[in-house]
Amino acid sequence: MKKLKTKSGMAAMLMIALLSFAFMPAPKKITVKGSDTMVILAQKWAEVYMKSHQETVIQVTGGGSGTGISALINGATDICNSSRPMKQSEMDKLKDRYASLGIEIPCAKDGVTIFLNEANPVKELTIKQLSNIFSGKTRNWKEVGGPDQDIKLYGRENSSGTYVFFKDNVVKADYAASCQTLPGTAAVVNAVSKDKYGIGYGGAAYAAGVKHCAVKKDDKSPAFVANAETIKKGQYPITRFLYMYLCNRPTGELKAYIDWILSAEGQKLVTEIGYFPVK
Amino acid sequence: MRRQTNILLTVGLILTMVVLSTGILAQNQMEEFKKEQDTLKESVGTLRDKVSGVEERIATAEGDLAKLTKIKLSGYIQSQFLHYEASNAYPSNVFMLRRVRIKFQYEPLNGVVFVLQPDFVPGNFTLKDAYVQLNDRWLKTFSLWAGKFNRPNYEVEYSSSSREVPERSRVIRAIYPDERATGAKLEIAPPGIPFKVQLALFNGNDGLTINDAAGNNINPLNNDFDNHKDVMGRVTYTFKLGQIGALGIGAHGYYGKIKSNALDVLNSDYTYNKTTDNIGQLIRKNWVGFEAQLYFDFLGGLALKGEYIFGVNGTPGYTAKTSVVSPMTSAIRNDTLTLTTLTTNTTTSRPAIERNFCGYYIYLIKNIGKHHQVAARYDYYDPNTKLASDQIGVAKWDAGIKNATTDKFTYAGTDPVVATDAQTKTVVNNNLKSGTGDIKYQTITLAYSYFFDDNIKIMVGYEIPMNKKVGVNDLGVGNVTAAYAVNGVPGVYDYSNAIKQNTLTVRLQVKF
Repeated sequence: MKKLKTKSGMAAMLMIALLSFAFMPAPKKITVKGSDTMVILAQKWAEVYMKSHQETVIQVTGGGSGTGISALINGATDICNSSRPMKQSEMDKLKDRYASLGIEIPCAKDGVTIFLNEANPVKELTIKQLSNIFSGKTRNWKEVGGPDQDIKLYGRENSSGTYVFFKDNVVKADYAASCQTLPGTAAVVNAVSKDKYGIGYGGAAYAAGVKHCAVKKDDKSPAFVANAETIKKGQYPITRFLYMYLCNRPTGELKAYIDWILSAEGQKLVTEIGYFPVK
Repeated sequence: MRRQTNILLTVGLILTMVVLSTGILAQNQMEEFKKEQDTLKESVGTLRDKVSGVEERIATAEGDLAKLTKIKLSGYIQSQFLHYEASNAYPSNVFMLRRVRIKFQYEPLNGVVFVLQPDFVPGNFTLKDAYVQLNDRWLKTFSLWAGKFNRPNYEVEYSSSSREVPERSRVIRAIYPDERATGAKLEIAPPGIPFKVQLALFNGNDGLTINDAAGNNINPLNNDFDNHKDVMGRVTYTFKLGQIGALGIGAHGYYGKIKSNALDVLNSDYTYNKTTDNIGQLIRKNWVGFEAQLYFDFLGGLALKGEYIFGVNGTPGYTAKTSVVSPMTSAIRNDTLTLTTLTTNTTTSRPAIERNFCGYYIYLIKNIGKHHQVAARYDYYDPNTKLASDQIGVAKWDAGIKNATTDKFTYAGTDPVVATDAQTKTVVNNNLKSGTGDIKYQTITLAYSYFFDDNIKIMVGYEIPMNKKVGVNDLGVGNVTAAYAVNGVPGVYDYSNAIKQNTLTVRLQVKF
C-alpha cells in the first residue's frame, strides 16, 4: 500500500513536471538573415539585446542581401538585413506571396570603402577611375598614378548587396572577369592586406589592416575618406543606407526588438561597430 | 716511459681513426642529406606542378561555372482534381495536369536575356514564352522585347503560380486567349520610380479560334493572316502609403483590327452594318481597361484588386463558295441533240460581328500568418452589351436565301447540230443567330491556399458561375431540345434557365 502511494506520488510529480514544462512560456525566437556587411552589427545588436531580454532568442546569419531577401520571401526569416534597397522584382514577389509590399526600415548608414594595401602609393581615385578599374578597362596601377604593376581586383559574390550597390552606383557596367569574388568583406580586406597591388571594396566596419582610399566624385571635386563626418555631411561619394526588411508591420517581441535597434542604445552600437547612425 | 709512449700512440691512433671515421661518416651523411634534399626538391617541384595543374583546372572550371550561372532554370507543376457540378458534365470528375512548365533564362551579356518556356502538359506540348529581352545598360530604364510573351495586362501578367484563385477572370480569358502574343514590346521603367509604361505591337490573332465554313480552326498556329498589327499599351504607377501599404493604379488599351473573312459585318445587336465584296475588310478590336490594387497591412497582408474593361471585340466570319455541275442529260428536240447541265454555285457565309462588351473583376485577399491565404473574387462579363438577355436566341441576321437561275443556250456548230442548254443556279446562305457567345456571366470564386513552404502550395477553390437566362430555348442557343444524350446526360445546356456549372478544384503546386 505504501509502495503504491509512493508510486502514485512519483507519477503525480512527473505529471506536474511535464505539465509545467508544457505550459512554460516558449522562448521568443527571432531569425535574422541577409547582408554579410551587416552581420557583425546584427550579431552585436542580438547579443546586447538578449542580455537584457533573456526570454528572447535571436538567431543571426549572413549569406548576402539577395539571400536574405529570398529568405524573407520564402518565409524562412523574420528580419532580412540588406545593404541595398529591395528591387522592384523582389517587392513584386513579396506582394504576390504575402499581399504586402514589405516594411523597409533604414537602421544604419555606411560608406562603401575602397581598400588598398598599405604599401600601395595610390591615395585617391575618382568614381570614373574606380569604374574603369573594376570593369577591367584600367588594368595597370601606372594608369592611375601608381607603380607599373597589374591591378588585382577583389570583390564580393553576386548575392551580396554590396556587390549590387557598387555595381549599380560605381562600376555601372559588368565587373571585370578577373575580379576575384570572396565570401564577405572581411575576406576582401584580408586578401588586399596580403596583396601589394590589390584593390577591394566593402563596408567601413571591416577596414582593419588595409588603407582607406580617398574617393573623388570627379576630377574637380575634393577627395574624401569614408568617416562619420564625411558620411554625415554627404561628402563621401559612395554612401548608402543599411536596411532591415520585414513582411508585415512588426508586432510583439519583433516590434520591441526593432524599436530597441532604432533607439539611442541600438544606434550607439552602430557607431561602435564602425557604421553610422540613421538619426 | 715507453709504455706511456705506446699508450699515447694508441690513443692518438684511435683518435685519428675516430676523426677519420667521423669525417667519412659526416661526408656520407652530407651526401645522403644532399640526396634527400634533391629528392625533396624534386617532390616539391612535382607538387608545385600538380598544384599549378589543379589551379589551372580550377580556373577552367570556374570559367565554365561562371557560364552556367548565366543560365537560370525555374518552373512549376500544377496537378489538380476537378469536380464539375454541371448537369451535362461527363465525366464529372477528373485528375489533370494543368501546368508542367520549365522556364529557361540565359543572360550571356549584361542586359541581354533569352527566355524559353515550354509547357509539357501531356498531349499538348506548347511553347509558351520565347523572347529576347534587351535591357538598356546605361539608364536602366528601357527594355525591348521581341518574340512571344505575355500581353501587358495585370491579370495576364500575374502568373497562375502566384494567383490566389484557380483560373483567370472570364473577361480576361475571352479577350486575351492563351495570354501570350507574338510581337515586340518597349518597356519603360525608370529605376527607383514605381512607374512603368509598356507599348507593344502584336500580330493580333494569337490564341483565337477562327472557324471556316466546315467548322475547322483556320488559326491553329497563330500565323498572321492580315497586314494589320495590333497596338497595346499599359501604364502603371504605385503610391506608397507609408508603412500601411500601397496603392497601384493603371490603365491599358488595345487598338487592333482583324480580317473579317466575310462579306457582311454586323453590329453588336445583329443589325446590318455594311456590305463589302472584299472579305479582307477589317473589323475592330478596341478596348480600354482601368485597374487598381490596394495593399493594406492589417494583421498581415490584405489586398483588394480590381479591373474594369470595356470596348468592341470583333469576331471574324467566313465565306465559302462551291460549284457543282450536275450530270449531263441529252435529248433530241427538233432534230437537234440538246445537252443539258446544271451548275450550282453556293456561297456559304457567316457574317463577321463587332460586339460591344464589358467586364470587371474584384479580388479580396487576406493572408493569415506565413502559411494561409483566403481569397474571394467576383467577376462579371457581358460579351454583348447591346443585346438584352431576352433577345439572345431571338436576334439574328438572316440575309435570306437567294436563288437565281440563268439559262444559256449555245450552239456547238456540229452536224447534227448540238446545242448545250446550260443552266446556272446561285445559292447564298448567309445567317448568324445570337447565342452562347452573347450570354453574360457573373462568377463568384472562393479559394483557400496553404503554403507548405515556398515551393509547395495546396489550393482548394470553388467557382460558381451564374448565367443570365436567354430569351428563347432554341437550337444554336444552347438547349436541351436537341434531345440527344451521351451516357445519360444531355449534350447541351438549356440557357433559358439559370444552370449550375459550379466547379471544385483541389490543386497541388510545386514550384522551383
